[in-house]
Amino acid sequence: MAALCAATAIISIVVPFAGALSLLGTVPMGLLAYRYRFRVLIAGAVAAGLIAFLIAGLGGLMTVGHSAYVGGLTGVVKRRQRGTGTVIVVSILAGAVFNAFAVAALALLSRLRHLIFDAITANINGVAAVLTGIGRFVTEHPFPLSGRIAHGLDRTAHGLQWFLGEALHYWPWLIFANGTVSIVAVSLIGWWALSRVLNRMRGIPDVHKLDALPDTAPIGPVPVRLDEVSFRYPNTDHDALRPVNLQVTADEHLAITGANGSGKTTLMLVLAGREPTSGTIERPGSVGLGRLGGTAVVMQHPESQVLGTRVADDVVWGLPPGTTTDVAQLLREVGLESHAERDTGSLSGGELQRLAVAAALAREPALLIADEVTSMVDQEGREALLGVLSGLKQRHRTALVHITHYNNEAESADSTINLSESGDNTSMVETIPVPVATPAMGHESGPAILEVTGVSHEYNSGTPWAKAALRDVNFAVHQGDGLLIHGGNGSGKSTLAWILAGLTVPTTGSCLLDGRPSHEQVGAVALSFQAARLQLMRSRVDLEVASAAGFSPKDQDRVATALAVVGLDSALAKRRIDQLSGGQMRRVVLAGLLARSPRALILDEPLAGLDAVTQSGLVRLLEELRREQGLTVVVISHDFGGLEELCPRTLDLRDGVLHAVTAAAGGLS
Amino acid sequence: MTTAPPDERSERRPSRSVVLLRPVPGSSVVHDLWAGTKLLAVGGISVLLTFYPGWIAIGLVAALVLTTVRLAHIPRGALPNVPHWLWILLALGGMSAAFAGGSPTIHVAGVPIGLGGLLNFLRVTTLSFVLLGLGAMVSWTTNVAEIAPAVAALGRPLRWLRVPVDEWAVTIALALRAFPMLIDEFRVLYAARRLRPKRVADTRRARRRRWALEVVDLITTALTVTLRRADEMGDAITARGGIGQISALPSRPKQADWIALGITIAVCAAAVALEIPLGR
Repeated sequence: MAALCAATAIISIVVPFAGALSLLGTVPMGLLAYRYRFRVLIAGAVAAGLIAFLIAGLGGLMTVGHSAYVGGLTGVVKRRQRGTGTVIVVSILAGAVFNAFAVAALALLSRLRHLIFDAITANINGVAAVLTGIGRFVTEHPFPLSGRIAHGLDRTAHGLQWFLGEALHYWPWLIFANGTVSIVAVSLIGWWALSRVLNRMRGIPDVHKLDALPDTAPIGPVPVRLDEVSFRYPNTDHDALRPVNLQVTADEHLAITGANGSGKTTLMLVLAGREPTSGTIERPGSVGLGRLGGTAVVMQHPESQVLGTRVADDVVWGLPPGTTTDVAQLLREVGLESHAERDTGSLSGGELQRLAVAAALAREPALLIADEVTSMVDQEGREALLGVLSGLKQRHRTALVHITHYNNEAESADSTINLSESGDNTSMVETIPVPVATPAMGHESGPAILEVTGVSHEYNSGTPWAKAALRDVNFAVHQGDGLLIHGGNGSGKSTLAWILAGLTVPTTGSCLLDGRPSHEQVGAVALSFQAARLQLMRSRVDLEVASAAGFSPKDQDRVATALAVVGLDSALAKRRIDQLSGGQMRRVVLAGLLARSPRALILDEPLAGLDAVTQSGLVRLLEELRREQGLTVVVISHDFGGLEELCPRTLDLRDGVLHAVTAAAGGLS
Repeated sequence: MTTAPPDERSERRPSRSVVLLRPVPGSSVVHDLWAGTKLLAVGGISVLLTFYPGWIAIGLVAALVLTTVRLAHIPRGALPNVPHWLWILLALGGMSAAFAGGSPTIHVAGVPIGLGGLLNFLRVTTLSFVLLGLGAMVSWTTNVAEIAPAVAALGRPLRWLRVPVDEWAVTIALALRAFPMLIDEFRVLYAARRLRPKRVADTRRARRRRWALEVVDLITTALTVTLRRADEMGDAITARGGIGQISALPSRPKQADWIALGITIAVCAAAVALEIPLGR
């Protein structure tokens, strides 16, 4: 949140004249004050202020202070359910106090005051001198009305200087009155705009899962026995977890599998201490979430798991003060011993997850729960991570519960529990060995749509932070082609996707769409980002599709058609975006993109975070679109699962260099 | 043959982008200083310049900043590009101030030219550049991981006043950790916005309405994403048993830090001593 505010502060510093922008900074602050206690707002403001100071100097600090004031005022008043009257009273008081301070400070800082006043006087005197000069010039070269013009100019000049003189004479009162009035005005404008935005924000769901429990009993999470345990979330009409029996003993490695919606994550929550709706749980002591010798949880999203900025710091993050930890040993165990001083921002997904495991192990947990830790990680990272997990037993006395939707990950466990009703293992994702880069068959006879010639790209070029992302990439995409660009984390594949869509101009080389540079035709090539949520900007499905496709949201038929193309029922049109599942979000994005009949469709990691059934459904949909409508598809992924039909041609991207490009198939001379 | 390929014309050379909160690679005396020292020095100098914004103080601080730049081996490329309109604006301000004249006056070819106004304007401009440079020095030479522990250490005396300094330090650490992730997400958000068709509105009123609607949509999406990220990080914090340590290696001021602080204090004292007799 603080980072969001700081980002807005930077923008408003970069654009000093777009003063309206600093109003944006008040939104996150207002939300903080509206949702949480006053203390949170203060902490957020301090953090944002420091960041803004580091980036933009004192001006940034001022902007943040201002945002915090307006946001805090609106948020608190809104939470207490008061109205405009309160805002006026409070802002008059705040304005009076603040400006009294400002006047006192200026009175004290006489040198700074003189400097500022001198600078203002100099500018005004300069303007006056110019005006008088013109007046004199006009008088010396008589032409009609010249006398009157000269007189007018002279009077304006004198008026300006007189006004400034008077203003500087009464400066304390002037600054006080002006400051108070403007603070009241800003507060009212902020209140008016912000209360509208906050009303809209009320719908944003709180998706946090884990709750800290007050632990008083001695810690002892294992052995744990669940007897007919089921769980139902408040305000729902079905069990998220159907009655389940299981037992986890110390040192056991248990795998829990099942499709999305079978209650895997809910079971994790119950094991991590949440009270079940029915059934009984027996443990020798309390759960001790995150405590030494208690329960540790590693979750799905690699970036959000890691809290420290430096690798070594992350391992100890959150440990009680005074605990000593053998950081080097823990990092060695997860294979990150050489990275202790590195920034966590530069780690790949797999490395981040291994780091999260190290941080969990720093607590010497009796029970370690890994919840779908591999689903956002590439093939290589997955193997390393699994190696770490299966090696745990040799060195630690810890029970491991591994929740996964990958078949082969469950195999290394001592026992497996399947939560799906049918117990049908065929729906599990099989990880598939890397196929060899294949020369394309003769069927892509269409003309080349996208031609990438000699493309290299470097981020931040010309600065000390320059980093090459792509090196001399050449290939072509033809009408109706299905192309898979495969590469691990940091191979430059996302950069390539942005270049293909025209969002990034490559440092050298060219990317041509139908013979013209693609960055001149942004929007002609559709790009579906890995984070589908970022691409959904409207609050409801029909508004979203209409806005993305460029037609009126009242045109219900076209919305329904667009949704039907991606296999979604038109009943979904009125659904709120936040109530969609991950797979549905991706399809809504595709509906909006496809409704514009793009020249080609690029998908960045389309299968990340989806379960087996959703994945295969999406792939089948894309196959159909490609076969029947001749859609040109470029998939960018670190996965292969079931993509052979959709993408007969594969290119391999490693460290920014394209490998095994089949020149004949590329169609380049 | 010097004919450029046809697409070269349209290809605008991307200007040097601004890199935020990442130290310049390499190591130097300045890089190795404790982050708290740098924060203290920058804070102290800012206070000095607020009280004594004279030429001598500005000059001394500018010399200090330039020396530190040399010591820290900051290449010219680290500077962001200054947009053209800023230069134009500065030139305009300088011109209007120059016309004011005033003492001191110099004589060029017998014509008296008053420099007072221009000098005043230059002083204000230099002051703001020096202040910006001070902040930049910290972010160019400090690993963000060191900032939060330094704030916690510096703020320790405030604990006596029941100020939740440790809480603030954790917030700062988390904000600095989340900063690059959020910047990435905003980049994607902006790109997704660019991929969308632009609806044409007929009247100015409709255009304004649509603009307001889009801004609200963008903010809502950005905040939804931010809140989701915040919830996930909150889960991760809960999974680690709440807040506690934030740094693996204790960082303390070393000998170099005392020397650096001494130099800063000496410069400040010299500036004050030289300014007071000249002061008005």
